[in-house]
Amino acid sequence: MTTINPSARKKIKAGSFSLNRFGPGAQAAFHIILALFSLLCIIPFIFVVIISFSSEESIRQVGFSFTPVSWSVEAFTYTFRLGNALWRSYFNSFLITIVGTILSVAITILYAYPLFRKDFRFRGFFNFLSFFTMIFGGGLVPTFVICKSVLGLSDNYAALIVPMLFSPFNVIIMRTFLQTAVPTELIEAATIDGSGEYNTLVRIVLPIVKPGIATVALLVALSYWNEWFLSLLYLNKNMDIMPLQYLLMRMQRNADFLAKNSSMLGADAAKAVAQLPSQSLKMALVVFIVIPIACAYPFFQRYVVAGLTIGSVKG
Amino acid sequence: MTTIQTAVPKPHRRYSSIAAKKKTFWLTTMALPGAVWLLLIRYLPMFGIVIAFKNYRAFRPNTFWNNIIQSEWVGLKNFEFLKSPDTGIMIRNTLGYNILWIILGLVISVAFAIMMSELTSRFLAKTYQTLMFFPYFLSWVVASYFVLAFLDPTSGMIPFFQKAAGLKATNFYHDTTWWPLILTICNLWKNLGYSSVLYLAAITGIDTTQYEAAAVDGATKWQQIWHVTLPGIRPMIVILLIMNVGKIFNADFGLFYNVPQNSGSLYPVTQVVDTYVYRAYANTHNMGMSSAAGFLQSFVGMICIIGANALVRKIDAESSLF
Amino acid sequence: MKKVLSLILTLALILSVLSFAAADDLPTITIMFHGSNVTDDKAVLEKVNEYIADKVGAKLEVIWGTWGDFDEKSVKVLEGADKDVDIVFTSSWSDDEYNSFAKKGYFLKLDDLFAQYGADLIAALPEDLMKAATIEGAEGKGVYAVNGFKDTATQNTWDINVTLLNELGYTVDDVKEKGFFGWGEIFAKAKEVKGDSFYPFLVEPVVAERMVTNSIIVSGDGNANLLSLYLNPDDVSAEGPYGNKLLNKFATPEYKAFVEKMHEYYEAGYIDPALSVGETSNDCRANHQKDASYLIGTQVYAFGYEYSPDVLSRGVEVQFLPCTEPYMDSTVSQGAMMAINSASEHPEEAFKFLVLLNTDPVLMTLMNYGVEGIHYTLDEDGLVVFTDERANYSPWTNGVGNVTLLPDTKDEGKGFRESFKAYYSTGKVIPSNGFFFDPEKVETEMAQLANVNAQYALALDCGATDPETELPAFLEALDGAGMQAYLDEANAQMDAFMAK
Repeated sequence: MTTINPSARKKIKAGSFSLNRFGPGAQAAFHIILALFSLLCIIPFIFVVIISFSSEESIRQVGFSFTPVSWSVEAFTYTFRLGNALWRSYFNSFLITIVGTILSVAITILYAYPLFRKDFRFRGFFNFLSFFTMIFGGGLVPTFVICKSVLGLSDNYAALIVPMLFSPFNVIIMRTFLQTAVPTELIEAATIDGSGEYNTLVRIVLPIVKPGIATVALLVALSYWNEWFLSLLYLNKNMDIMPLQYLLMRMQRNADFLAKNSSMLGADAAKAVAQLPSQSLKMALVVFIVIPIACAYPFFQRYVVAGLTIGSVKG
Repeated sequence: MTTIQTAVPKPHRRYSSIAAKKKTFWLTTMALPGAVWLLLIRYLPMFGIVIAFKNYRAFRPNTFWNNIIQSEWVGLKNFEFLKSPDTGIMIRNTLGYNILWIILGLVISVAFAIMMSELTSRFLAKTYQTLMFFPYFLSWVVASYFVLAFLDPTSGMIPFFQKAAGLKATNFYHDTTWWPLILTICNLWKNLGYSSVLYLAAITGIDTTQYEAAAVDGATKWQQIWHVTLPGIRPMIVILLIMNVGKIFNADFGLFYNVPQNSGSLYPVTQVVDTYVYRAYANTHNMGMSSAAGFLQSFVGMICIIGANALVRKIDAESSLF
Repeated sequence: MKKVLSLILTLALILSVLSFAAADDLPTITIMFHGSNVTDDKAVLEKVNEYIADKVGAKLEVIWGTWGDFDEKSVKVLEGADKDVDIVFTSSWSDDEYNSFAKKGYFLKLDDLFAQYGADLIAALPEDLMKAATIEGAEGKGVYAVNGFKDTATQNTWDINVTLLNELGYTVDDVKEKGFFGWGEIFAKAKEVKGDSFYPFLVEPVVAERMVTNSIIVSGDGNANLLSLYLNPDDVSAEGPYGNKLLNKFATPEYKAFVEKMHEYYEAGYIDPALSVGETSNDCRANHQKDASYLIGTQVYAFGYEYSPDVLSRGVEVQFLPCTEPYMDSTVSQGAMMAINSASEHPEEAFKFLVLLNTDPVLMTLMNYGVEGIHYTLDEDGLVVFTDERANYSPWTNGVGNVTLLPDTKDEGKGFRESFKAYYSTGKVIPSNGFFFDPEKVETEMAQLANVNAQYALALDCGATDPETELPAFLEALDGAGMQAYLDEANAQMDAFMAK
């Protein structure tokens, strides 16, 4: 029992084992590879920031460039002039992401845990129930019809949260985390000690799979934060609850549509194109969208890396 | 640890049946919210699959349900879009890129995860991880601007340097040569951060005592990785692999549509099932055809998953999906 | 834990229930517009509802769809038989294409309603527009949408930067005289004067093709435009060189000559390469137009366009040189329509509203320009001057309905509507006006052809690829994808149409 008690386990991990680790050469090589790739990942974002500060004129002349001809904060002043619409959609994005993530993670864990339990009688059934929907779906229109007319998901926050509450993919990921981190013996021991199922889950299992929960929460939060298609489908009249991502995607889609149909719309399209928000404004919005979630990232990462630091002692 | 199990006396049979029922009950209540969601949002609309085999149109009274019932069965007619001479290219591209990327993605992201777990500098490990996630925030549309900044025939950086060096500038958007490479880089760039975080979290979950035992036995670091880390994250590798295989007939639309700027000349290397169906649908607005394409992708995915899962079961039943 | 669970479920329930609004005694009709830029419609809808309560007997709600909603939203609403949307925009070129959606039963046949309530509307619309709306739909031959009265004829023009042209020592007459095939010399001069990174020829490639070869869009042909019908450039109401026969657009000598010349221009550096790539083409064109960094461009013209702010703001003298006289064909005569969703529960009220919207200047002005005193004011000449509030309320004018009911704005000048009507009344009707290709029987071929077309056409039209090798490859690919069957079906339908 003692060896698998979490607190006891921690003590052992924290103990100063001096095990062999990679030499400085290998460490340096790792750093170089990871640093180069990280650079490759961050440069496009810096690029986006540069475009957002480029003047319209510069974009017209030299296109998207790391070295614009002239700079401008026009996009940001314009963004702030969006005023209420911007802050409201910002607020909506936060609300949807936070509420959605909490609910979704709860449902995911609750669903994944019984699936992880080999002694659960309906394990096969629930496993299949979830797995099957990963491959087959009714399609967009039937789902839309059911959500709107049967479940009343239209012009409300629920419409932007409920359709994404559950993902079979995340359930499988969660189940795999449980499999790798939680020894079956622990559960058996807890059951023998008279611990109820919910008690076991909350007090014994959850603390062990924190990294897994943090990872799934991150994935869920990201998908809520980036979501815009639900808004397109389910928001009709109540635009006050529109998230920021949809504000941006609408601009993008407007431009795409006008491009595709310009020969049909003729002068109408030309007039509309003239009114479209500039590219730098779109990039400014991208910056607005990326920054909060990038800031939230370390929060999730803490758990993943918290595990890592314990691990690093071992290495 | 296994000794603990045998040391516990077997409970009384009667008691165990009540306990078992109780356990089943409580575990079922856990799965219930998810199950209800699945039934409402996923299973209820599944009747829509029949649209793939019907000529869907509106009848009177015009309700969705009535329309589906009254629409005429057309058998496999909606699948005829597959008879195109382009089909070969489109299937080759879809499967080819997917297989290549599944393998590359797996190897590189596992390598990245292991490297990050072995770094002594906590701060840098965190920084790399954060930065690697950035591409995931940027949509393909935004990424396509970035690619354009390099490749644009007039103002792009590469043609610019080519001209400066006195070479003929490559017109990238009409030249298929480089696109398999460009698309591969873009795909890895976007997805590596995501998948390596999954593996990293899985590595974190490995019981440290196993490393200690290995170290006591005199295993080198490389041996520890081979004998402890990789087996430890095997379930995660297998699961992600199986799931990727299930999507082998689907393609990331934005990557193949936006990143090449929808340039026709590049279709021989960028046309995939999703873009083909999109372009066909934009012209015909045939709901049956797009349903049929979706059904086909699901069907191929299912066969691949079942196949992969059976294979995994043979080798390692523990890790299999079902 | 159970408490938490029940709390979660309750919360989800409450969230979903929140949407149900309190019932009202008047029925609500919902109209879905497109292309709008509306963030605050409260003041307008209040006035509108006050105004229509007696006249229509309903309350209005509006879904302000944007340009980007065109493709997805209305199609999902119609395919999903969403009874909450009563009126939707449709046209010959949008995704909820008028003919095919009427045929699939998504739109209500309006003939009975017209007979009952539509006398005013019939009087207000030109006869040709009513005729253009009469088609073979799910419930037989009839009218399935109210046709909007907007620019009712097409005229393609060369958009000329006169300031630059004069600077180079040429006049508009020179451009006219030399014609498309003889502009090389002018372009060369422009390139010489303005430098190597200047691209004088700013084309929208598919439009340029139509302008040079005098072909028109065949309705029902999809976005791909595989078919060509050639106009008679001297008299659009007479038959063209091939009669009313539909041709494979890419197999004609006209097309070959066009793409060869374009390739020559492209290779000489007269055309911006970005124009030849699907997603960059339009951005590139818009940017060059804004900067006036072009010499000759293409423009699908609408009356009064030269006075619009986006032309005036270019800072150079711009002239639009027409290729042909304005012509009326099936595409333009179904350019903007409003159909009633056949799933609607209030078709009568919806129709009455459409009649009022298209016949009553007060309602039309209210919907389009907003409330007087808030969104616009009238100056001493009675011309509309927009206020800053207009930025929060700008629907797409042509997408709302009968634009001839609107008062003139200060930008347009007094008498604009009159000249507008006069201009379009000169539009001649082409011989095959009213013909719509119904591709239902050849949908499979169409799906394949669309992909082949997308692969080759734009690059060829723009001159970016060599017609020597690419054109034969294109034609072969089209044949492989069933072009002949497609063409035969189209011509069979055309023959049947002309025989009537």
